[in-house]
Amino acid sequence: MSIDRTRHPLEDLPAYALGALEEAERAFVEAHLETCDECARELAQFEQALYEAAAVGAARADPPRDLRARIVLRHRGTRARRESDWGGARARAWLARPVPLALPLALAVFLVVSFVAVGTARREADAYARALAGVADGRVVALAAQKDAPPDARGALVIPRSGDPYVVLELSSPPTGKAWEAWVIKGQHPTAAGVSGSGGLFTIVLSAPVGAGDVVAVTLEPAAGSRAPTSDPILAGGT
Amino acid sequence: MLVERIAGGDAEALGDLYDRYGRVAFGMLYRMLPGPEAAEEVAQDAFHAVWRRASSYRPERGAVRTWLLAICRNAAIDWRRTRGKRSEREVSIDTAADLIADGRVDERVVDALREERVRKAVSELPAEQRDVLSLAFWGGYSQTEIAARTNTPLGTVKSRVRLGMTKLRERLVDER
Repeated sequence: MSIDRTRHPLEDLPAYALGALEEAERAFVEAHLETCDECARELAQFEQALYEAAAVGAARADPPRDLRARIVLRHRGTRARRESDWGGARARAWLARPVPLALPLALAVFLVVSFVAVGTARREADAYARALAGVADGRVVALAAQKDAPPDARGALVIPRSGDPYVVLELSSPPTGKAWEAWVIKGQHPTAAGVSGSGGLFTIVLSAPVGAGDVVAVTLEPAAGSRAPTSDPILAGGT
Repeated sequence: MLVERIAGGDAEALGDLYDRYGRVAFGMLYRMLPGPEAAEEVAQDAFHAVWRRASSYRPERGAVRTWLLAICRNAAIDWRRTRGKRSEREVSIDTAADLIADGRVDERVVDALREERVRKAVSELPAEQRDVLSLAFWGGYSQTEIAARTNTPLGTVKSRVRLGMTKLRERLVDER
């Protein structure tokens, strides 16, 4: 059945603003509003009044202190996705051979896995987010998953306002005799910055200073650590 | 401007939006949902929806706060219908009955004069109009559901909704 969009549903606009119409009525009003600025203006005024009252009627309740940080953090990486060149070029420059990073795609996957999944994955993502949520007064930079990254690998560089920078990583346990090692790369010179032999959700406090324009990367290395990277990065991101 | 920045992928702008309206949004969700955990979860969902829909925001169709709160309310109703436990899917008539519940207002979200004006406007509505607006807004009930639950003819409920909303608009919207 086609919808007659020419009839102005003025009588239904108050209930539409309230969300109190039945489905068929709501669909009609919605279709009409797509093309009728006059009714849209009417609706805007009903909504303005309604939400003015709702703001006064809202409960006295303090949101969790870290809610803002979690909301921002959840989307901060998306910005990086749109700025596709920030880390990839530098990470490639550091490596002995170029890595086909396809950074935007890798990061998009990373973000989907990290934050948009539902159910169990969502709870896991929340745990990861909680690990980063206490850094409202610092910077958080998403580390992009690279070509050889294990499934579901993710990480972020945290640069607190005070104290040492660190990376928060969620990675599978490294193979026997191996460890995850963090690197700070200035120009094309990587400096070993910390080793972790664990898996799951963990942090590495960086032993090398991180400055503007540096790249932080994570590689798989011998358990004792390496003087220079011996494998391609699995996570990388620029400051 | 703020929403444009969000649409442009600026996550810090989303934080700025939260700074301005996060408290009132959370307070509204807190009232609509069964507990702080649900309010927190839905707040995150709502701000994610803002992130995704920012490019479709049209300022001529409403203020940013109204747009955000509408997104929050829709997310809360969706949560109750899809994720809430059976007992949480519906708000009791009594709970939803006050459009503005006394003593529960967060004084930090609205300035005092504005709040007084809003309170006056709401209190001057006839009780039966105030009740249907409250049930629809906070309870998420449709006009048909309100009619059934209050044993009131549907036409009467519709009339009360129209009259109540029209009076609210007359008293609270300056640009008439």
